[in-house]
Amino acid sequence: MLTDFGIILLFILAAFAFIGIVLFVARLLRPNRPNEEKNSTYESGEEPVGNANIQFNIRYYVVALVFVLFDVELVFLFPWATVFGQVRLINETNGSWGWFALTEAFLFVGILGLGLAYVWAKGYLDWVKPQPKIPRVDTNVPADLYQRVNDKYSHSKP
Amino acid sequence: MFPIVLLSVFGILLLFLGFLKSRAILLPAALLFLLVSLAVNFIDWNKTYLYFNGMLLSDNLSMVFTAIVLGSAFMVVALSGSFMEDESAQPAEYYGILLFSLVGALMMIGFENLIMLFVGVEILSVAMYVLTGSDKRNLRSNEAALKYFLMGAFTTGIMLFGMALLYGATGSFTLGGIRAYAVNPQVGLSLLFYVGLLMLLIGLLFKVSAAPFHFWTPDVYDGAPTLFTAFMSTVVKTAGFAALFRLLSISFSGVYTFWWTILAIITTLTLVAGNITAVYQNSFKRMMAYSSISHAGYLLIGLAALGQQTKQAIVFYSLAYSVATIAAFGVLLLVARQRNAETITSGGSSSESFDAFNGLARQNPLLGFAMAVSMLSLAGIPLTAGFWGKFYMFSTAVERGQIWLLVVAVLMSAVGIYYYFRVIIAMYFREGATAPIRVAPFYRYVLVVATLLTIGLGIAPGLLEGLF
Amino acid sequence: MQTDLLCALIPLFPLIGFIINGFGFRRIPKSLAGAIATVAVLASFLTSCFLFGAFLGNANLTSTAGPLKAVLFDWISVGDLDISFSFQIDQLSLLMLLVVTGVGSLIHLYSIGYMKHDEGFGKFMAFLNLFVFFMLLLVMGSNYVIMFIGWEGVGLCSYLLIGFWNTNTNYNNAARKAFVMNRIGDLGFLLGIFWIINLFGTTEYTDVFKQATSLAIGDPEILAITLLLFVGAMGKSAQIPLYTWLPDAMAGPTPVSALIHAATMVTAGIYMVVRSNVLYTLSPLTLEIIGGIAIATALLAASIGLLQNDIKKVLAYSTVSQLGYMFLGLSVTAYTAGMFHVITHAFFKALLFLGAGSVIHAMSDEQDIRNMGGLRKSLPVTFITFLIGTIAISGLPPFAGFFSKDEILAHVFEHNKVLWALGVLGSALTSFYMFRLLFLTFFGEFRGTEEQRHHLHESPATMTAPLVFLAILSAAGGVLNLPGGGWLSDFMAPLFEGSRQVNPEAFAESTIDHSTEYILMAVSAGVALISGIIAYVMYVSRGAVPAPETTERSMPEQVVYNKYYVDEFYEAIIVRPIRGLGDALYSFGEFIIDGVVNGVAWLVRAGSNQLRLLQNGSIGFYVFAMVLSIVAIIALRFFVRF
Repeated sequence: MLTDFGIILLFILAAFAFIGIVLFVARLLRPNRPNEEKNSTYESGEEPVGNANIQFNIRYYVVALVFVLFDVELVFLFPWATVFGQVRLINETNGSWGWFALTEAFLFVGILGLGLAYVWAKGYLDWVKPQPKIPRVDTNVPADLYQRVNDKYSHSKP
Repeated sequence: MFPIVLLSVFGILLLFLGFLKSRAILLPAALLFLLVSLAVNFIDWNKTYLYFNGMLLSDNLSMVFTAIVLGSAFMVVALSGSFMEDESAQPAEYYGILLFSLVGALMMIGFENLIMLFVGVEILSVAMYVLTGSDKRNLRSNEAALKYFLMGAFTTGIMLFGMALLYGATGSFTLGGIRAYAVNPQVGLSLLFYVGLLMLLIGLLFKVSAAPFHFWTPDVYDGAPTLFTAFMSTVVKTAGFAALFRLLSISFSGVYTFWWTILAIITTLTLVAGNITAVYQNSFKRMMAYSSISHAGYLLIGLAALGQQTKQAIVFYSLAYSVATIAAFGVLLLVARQRNAETITSGGSSSESFDAFNGLARQNPLLGFAMAVSMLSLAGIPLTAGFWGKFYMFSTAVERGQIWLLVVAVLMSAVGIYYYFRVIIAMYFREGATAPIRVAPFYRYVLVVATLLTIGLGIAPGLLEGLF
Repeated sequence: MQTDLLCALIPLFPLIGFIINGFGFRRIPKSLAGAIATVAVLASFLTSCFLFGAFLGNANLTSTAGPLKAVLFDWISVGDLDISFSFQIDQLSLLMLLVVTGVGSLIHLYSIGYMKHDEGFGKFMAFLNLFVFFMLLLVMGSNYVIMFIGWEGVGLCSYLLIGFWNTNTNYNNAARKAFVMNRIGDLGFLLGIFWIINLFGTTEYTDVFKQATSLAIGDPEILAITLLLFVGAMGKSAQIPLYTWLPDAMAGPTPVSALIHAATMVTAGIYMVVRSNVLYTLSPLTLEIIGGIAIATALLAASIGLLQNDIKKVLAYSTVSQLGYMFLGLSVTAYTAGMFHVITHAFFKALLFLGAGSVIHAMSDEQDIRNMGGLRKSLPVTFITFLIGTIAISGLPPFAGFFSKDEILAHVFEHNKVLWALGVLGSALTSFYMFRLLFLTFFGEFRGTEEQRHHLHESPATMTAPLVFLAILSAAGGVLNLPGGGWLSDFMAPLFEGSRQVNPEAFAESTIDHSTEYILMAVSAGVALISGIIAYVMYVSRGAVPAPETTERSMPEQVVYNKYYVDEFYEAIIVRPIRGLGDALYSFGEFIIDGVVNGVAWLVRAGSNQLRLLQNGSIGFYVFAMVLSIVAIIALRFFVRF
């Protein structure tokens, strides 16, 4: 007799087997005519440039972290729904179980909401704007000299 | 249980207090929160409760450990006045994270279920990774944080693997369930159980920096801001040993013969590695890192010789060690700050080397005395708390008849005297041009209390007995 | 519990006084420092009185005068051994409490006047308070370990106070001598305690004595324990051969001599023996040895006292001699008589020392009685009180010393006639040297310099008031225990229940009838009186004055004058050989020991240097080492059998 884990194992095996079979069947059925365009990386229609292993901008990570946070929150709500949403318990406690469960969920979401508010207030959600550095050169030539030169000679050649 | 809930709420509260214009309220608020948590800790005194569907246990032992952890945290936070002066520091976040990490520590102390242990370890560790790297401009701090994180993640994996194996073998995550399996095997214990036990142990031993899993300790302790080093070497260690003690004494006491030799070998390695390497250090902070490894070794003696007296010995040792360590780091903080200010003007030796303490006692008798007492206590000289800590530890080994372990420990504590006394010699017998250091009143109270506690427990070790 | 609180308060007051004065003596004005210290001890005294009253009331009510115990906290608990920090209140500790705090507060009061002009006044007061604190621990502790703490503490304070004027090298040497000699005794005491722990598994008095009552008389282990404990008592209470420190200890300020080296600390040895009376009663051989040593000490010290010319040295030898009497009493199981003499001696010897202090004060720090004389006119209060003290110590009725000494001698007579005769001889010597001292100091012509004569004055009230108090006590102290079953005997009787149980014969009713007793009294009083008269004839009628240092003396006189050359003897047979041995070991041992020590240190450093290299900072290596270790552990555990 299979245990519960045995069933899970079966599921995993079945998933791999399914993908394997589909790919294998597709290989049998499809025509095989590669060219250079087809073998290159697909990047939403853009021309691929350079290696994919580059350093990403740190800004992506902050957003990704915040995203993961709320993603995980969502995952937690599934068990909540199954454990707390039992009709039997709600009936036995005359409905107060439902209120209890709801309050718990709100507490949970509320704490995460506080977290979001904190991140927001701290300004971590703002896309960090590049602050271009204006090059400065030590020179005795005054800045407006160029302007005057430009002004002067632009008139001579219309 | 109450401190866990309260600390979580207080942590969030502190984060939001950080939005206030004035930073001055943060430190008192953090201290107040810790005090309140410490007070509510004793609500259940002399009662034993299981909380959260048997996830956490609250009994006198766990409350005593909680008190030690919260007390240490209180003292560390009380020494953190310098944040207020540092522009780039984020005190609200530091304090918030500290409180959150304490939640993890308390879960490690009172866990009744391996899941809780894992969650606790992770809360504590992640908070520590962040705090280690909190000095964002300092390259060494960053490096330390990354090292700590990588190695910590690696061992977390091992520990989790161990738990999974244990669950596979016993079909239970609860301490009682595992114990029932280990004590009363139907068909003999499975191999999975043994391997799982070892991996779980290794994971926890990493957290308390036992050799040969101690390599991260010196680099991380050295790189982290001194205040958080103090926190790590006291709170994390105490919580780690509380967890180890619970695990070994409840779940695995039935298979003592299986693990004690391993633990004894690790103890010996830890003692040797910690003490011998500390001798050659020139930085006080790095020496303290090795010293913390060696003290993990002394604490492990009590576990390797698990018996009637182990509980008392571990509690006493943790307390003595924490108090002395905090006082030592407190003095180091002041001295290093002073030296840094001087180095900017004159240039000279590193602000955390032994030389920084030269002639300290003459100009700053209080600092000198506090440091001397904590060094004596760490070295285990009589009339300090450290002596009785070692005494209780050694007597557990005697009780089990593990004489060779005792011999190693005694030899190594003799080595320990060498490097602890270097500080005292530097402070009292070397010449140095130390200007008097200004010590804020509150800071002074902490040092005085720590010193008095060390001496008081050294004179009357019985005061702590009968508490649990 | 109320008694617990009271018990804790008694030693706490002097401790607080010490802390205030000790830490603030640079800032606190002198007048305040003196007041604080005195009030602290006085408060202890009043608390003790209150406790005493409560104890009496309690004893009358319940008719069971068992000891009260106040456990402050559990102190050390190792294995089966439990030592708590607790106090025991019974008849014995109450008596000692009253004496220590009562005489102590008088002497504190006196010190205010005596030390007024000293620079280290606050420090002095702080030390005195600390001494009282430790002395109270000593007498109140309910086990030998607490007693030992007090024992060491008073030794320390004694050392500090003897060397109080620490700019003088001789004084420092005297302090060191006292400390070293006491340490020798302490070693014996400590070994005794270890043996007690070994034999009984506890140091708590009540438990030890309860277990001891089941042992047989003459048990060899008890013999060893009692002898070791007595070695401690020898050191503290200045018995042969450890007595030479006490006369030297007179280097300290006079109130110190009065408080520590006459009234309280030196009687700690007697207290200890009385406290352990069950053990001592169990070991008659020890008692015999004590008796021999005691009578030898009494006579030797008294004979040295005959020719001393320093007013404090005479009193010091007298103290040694009187301590001998106390031990003599103990040696014939007359514990009550011994304690009685402790109490009366505390009164009159403190009085005599304080009187001597008053004289020294008036004479501008002159201590040689050859330069005094005729002081009774200038110092009337001092003279009268000193006279009362002298009569009391000489054993003339009806003053305190007569009753206590007589009681001891009566018990000795019952036990051993020869010892009694020697005791009476000692009594005669005592009477002689005390009257000699009195006459040379207060009678005849003034022999000092003009300047001193000019300066002569009676001491201030803070100094004379304690003298008067003590004089009254010395005069009337005898009523505590009148012959034929006084109050003290009844009061202390419960203490000796255990002893009575193990050796009933030693406590049998007195066999001598009343007429013999009266004759004995008459003999000792008569002998004392005759000695006094001889002294009068020699030093007042004939006006003899002891010869100055330079004159030739006859051979026996020379020996006695130089204190039988005991110090020189010790120097020759103990100090020099030890020093020689030390030198030899130093030059030889230095080479080997240093070699070993340096070798080990080198080894550790070399190992450290190698181990250090493991810490190379590379995470890759760290993780690799960890994995290797895990593999090793698992391999070790599963593939290697051990």
